[in-house]
Order: sequence, then C-alpha cells, then structure tokens
Amino acid sequence: MVFERYYFQMDRYNNFMLEDFIWDAYFRKWVLHPTRETETVWNLWLEKNPDKMDLVLRAAGIVKAVGPANVPFSESEKQLAVKSIVSKLNSSAEKNPSRSTAWFPKFWLQTAAVIVLMAGLGWIFWTWNQQKQLDYQRLVAHADVPLIEKVNTTGIAQTIRLSDGSAVKLSPGGKISFSSENKLKREVYLSGEAFFDITADPERPFFVYANEVVTKVLGTSFIVRSYPAEKEISVLVKTGKVAVFTRKDPAAVQKQRSKELTGVIIEPNQQIVILRESEKMTKSLVPSPQIIANGTAGYQFEFDDVPASEVFATLRKAYGIEIRYDSDRMNDCPVTAQLTDLPLYEKLDLVCKAINATYERTDDSIIIKGNGCGPTAKP
Amino acid sequence: MKLLKTNGPQEEDEINLWRKMLEGNTSCYEQLVGRTYGLLFQYGCRFSSDREMLKDCIQDVFLEIWEKRNVLNPQIPPRAYLLASVRRRIHRVMQRNRVQTTDNIEKSLSDFNVEFSAEYLFIQSEQDQQLAKRITCVLNELPRRQQEAIFLRFFNDLERDEIADIMDIHPQSVSNLLQSAFRTIKMQWKIIVSLIHILAN
Repeated sequence: MVFERYYFQMDRYNNFMLEDFIWDAYFRKWVLHPTRETETVWNLWLEKNPDKMDLVLRAAGIVKAVGPANVPFSESEKQLAVKSIVSKLNSSAEKNPSRSTAWFPKFWLQTAAVIVLMAGLGWIFWTWNQQKQLDYQRLVAHADVPLIEKVNTTGIAQTIRLSDGSAVKLSPGGKISFSSENKLKREVYLSGEAFFDITADPERPFFVYANEVVTKVLGTSFIVRSYPAEKEISVLVKTGKVAVFTRKDPAAVQKQRSKELTGVIIEPNQQIVILRESEKMTKSLVPSPQIIANGTAGYQFEFDDVPASEVFATLRKAYGIEIRYDSDRMNDCPVTAQLTDLPLYEKLDLVCKAINATYERTDDSIIIKGNGCGPTAKP
Repeated sequence: MKLLKTNGPQEEDEINLWRKMLEGNTSCYEQLVGRTYGLLFQYGCRFSSDREMLKDCIQDVFLEIWEKRNVLNPQIPPRAYLLASVRRRIHRVMQRNRVQTTDNIEKSLSDFNVEFSAEYLFIQSEQDQQLAKRITCVLNELPRRQQEAIFLRFFNDLERDEIADIMDIHPQSVSNLLQSAFRTIKMQWKIIVSLIHILAN
C-alpha cells in the first residue's frame, strides 16, 4: 500500500503546534490544493489523532485566510490575452515557417478554422431562427395535454372529425394535433393547410395554433394555411367571423381568454396574411370571393332592367363583402345581366362596364366609382 | 518532506500539456497558456503595475517558447520555467525603459512588491483572526527577497531548486532566504501568541 509509507511518516505531525502546521508545505498542499492522495493521508492521520482535529481546523482556517493580495484580473481579460497569443502564433508561423512542410498543415488548419467558423455562425443563425420562429413541433411539445396527431400522407384532402362535431379538411402534407380528452378547450395545432368547419359554441371558443399565429373562432368555417417552409401564414374566412392575433402579442393571453372576438377580426371573403418574420399582418379580400351560404334559399344573379344599386346590394349580401357606392347615382342605372356562375370580380367587371363605372378593391371592401346614368352624368 | 513530495494531478497535467505542446500541438499550447496565464500575470504584478507591459512580456515568453520548442526539455515541469522566463523578460524591459527615462536609478531591479492580507471568511474565532492579521503584518515586514522566496515556496508550492531557477540564485541562497524568513516568523510568532494570550485574559 502506497499510503502506508506516507502514513508512517505522518507520525512526525503528532507533536506539531499551530504554527508548525501553518508553515508546513505538505499541510498547506492538502488545505490549498487537496488531491485524493492528500485527503486520504490526512484523514487517516486525523482518525488516529482525534485530539488534533481542533488544531488542524484552526491551522487550515489561517492557511486559507492569509495570502498575497491579488491584482484584479478578470477571466475575460485573461481569455483575451490568451487569444491574442494564440492568434500571433498562427500569423508568425505563416510568415517564417520553420519547416517547409509546416505550410500545408497550417493551410488546412486555417481552412478548417474557416469552415468551423462558418458552421458555427450557421448554427447560431439557425438556432436564433429556431427560437424566433415558433414551429408546430415546439408548440406540440409544449402543449399541456396529451395530443393525438393526424398526418395527411395521401394526395387528397382528408376530413377529420373532432369530438365537438367540428370538421377539419386537411390538405395533403398537413398535420394537425388535438386533444380528444379536454372538453373545456377546443384547440388544434396545425402545420400545413386546412379548412375548418367549426360548430358554434360561444362558451368554448375554438383555437387554431399555426406557428406564430392564433386564430380564435366561436363557430364558423375558415381556412388556415401555415406550411413550415413558407414565409407567410394566411387565414381565410368562409362564414362567420374569426379573430387572429400572434402569440407574441402582449395582449395575446387576454385576447385568448376573452369571450368576445378581439384582435384583428376577419369576416367572410376576407383573409389575413401574416409575415412570419416581422409578424406584420395584412388584411385583404380573398382573391376569389365565394358566395356565403344562405340557408336553403340561393341567390339570384339574373337581373332584368334593375337599378345597379340593387345589383350591388345583392352582391354585398351574397358575398358578405362591403360594396360601397353612391346609391342615388346608381339608382338611375338600369342593368340587365346574367351573372350566375361568374366569379365576383367578373360580375363586377360586367356590371361596371354596363354603367360606365369602375371599382377599386381596398383591404376590406370594394368601392364603385361612377357618375351614374342620369341626364347630368358625364361620360 | 521530500519523500512526501508527489506531483499532484495539476502538475502532471501541465507536464503533459508542455510535452505535447513542444511536439507542435497548438491546442495543448493554448491550454497551457490559459492555465498558467493568471499565475504569471499575478507574479509579474509584483514587479510592475504596468499591466500592458506585463501582458506583452508574457506574450513574448510564450511566442519564444513556441519558436524554440524543438530545443526545450520536455521533461521539466513548465511552471518554474515560465515564471523564470517572465521574470527575466520583465526585468530586461524595465531596465531598457529605465535607461530611456533615466529615473528611479536607485530602485533595485529585483524589487518584489507583495502585500499579504487576511480573508476572515475562513476563520471562526476572533483569536485566530488576530493571529492571521499578525501573520500578514510579519510577512509584510520581511525583506523583499525573503518575501519572494516565501511567496513562491508557500503560496505557489514551488521547490527550492525551482525557486533558485526563477530568482536566478544558488539553491543554497534560497535555503538561506527561507531560513532567515522563518527565524523572523517564529520569533514574532512567540510574541504574537503571548500577546494575544495576554489580551485574551
């Protein structure tokens, strides 16, 4: 046993006084830089000399307490100095290579350093981006209830029925996760595109979490499009109203809890596009507005000598889009047209052409501009 | 005590780094610089308060070691060698600066300034706090060269021969310095203890 030898020599400490311990190199070594070996040796000695415990503790305290006052020298200052030396090492070796072969390893070392640096920057950028963009994976991972996931791996849209009777038509490549147990909250996490037909339940709002965006509805049908690779998230409303806000919205929690729909409200045939990076929201009319279901009765788009104002009123009702016009002037313009089966904008094109007017789309409405058809109307 | 002397893991690590660094391993070189820099800087501060000059000296020493790595002994513990090199370099630079500025001619080259202090965090009893304080006073009163030998021996765990290399003196001179220092410490100790004993009663 290696320690026996040390232990034998430890007898010399048996008659040590306080000051002898304080200035003993082996004692100081144990107190200031303990190793496994010194720990074992000194503890063995203390077991044999329990009466010395108090003395040893006092001496250890004084050894630890007394020392040369160090100059303040921070770890960062040290790191900087070390880096400076190492960097000089590389450049000086480059300038006057001591051996002719030294150039190649140095070249590769630097190339490798550049690659490592680039990879490092890439990684930093990536993680920064990851932190910035809330993706489906993260959201699902942080959900507080167990979730069921449905993935549409087929080439056609799949309809998924939720426990509350709502239907989700998931586009190919889309994923949704939802809880089948939680009866209090209706929440769905989405990646990809889906059409939601939500059963009305004002007491339990329905939430769609799509990356950074939260869509809150009380009972309606709408489409959420949120693919991980796309820079935009869009929400299109078919019927009813939905509220949209981002997760980072300072009032997001309050908006979520509220019984009302707060946030940016979108109505049928309106859409909202959110740029994921800046979270800038743009509200606009959908590119091809659809007729809003009207119970059993359909809409009639066969007009025979009716005032243009009446045509616009019908369109406004049918599409749920605000169409603004000067009703006095438009009352004078008779229109005869078969507009059934034409998309909204083609309908408007035809009507406006007939009455010598134009229309303009704003973010949430259509404005008809024309001078009317009366005797005072100018071409 | 020599028999009890073993290389701790710290020292073994440094010898390993030193050996690999001499073989041209830059990563070991960087590690060795990082591990010893603080010690070298604190030691250098005993001779000058010019931090930038000290950093330059330490840097020059390390760069020179890299250049001379083919001829250096891989078997020696690097600590003493580094301390000796930094000390020499600092003195050379200070001497050159002194010639240029022609001031402080009286000041000895080996001026070693150390201020010992006590940290009472580690001491419970008031009596021992008094003891620690007295010890620092005694140490601070020692001649500078004795202080340096004590500093290297008891606060940086270096051996007599290593201290001789660093201070560039004969090993016997190191022994003499340490003995003189201890005579003072022991003598003062008796006074301190009896004084504290009287005060305590």
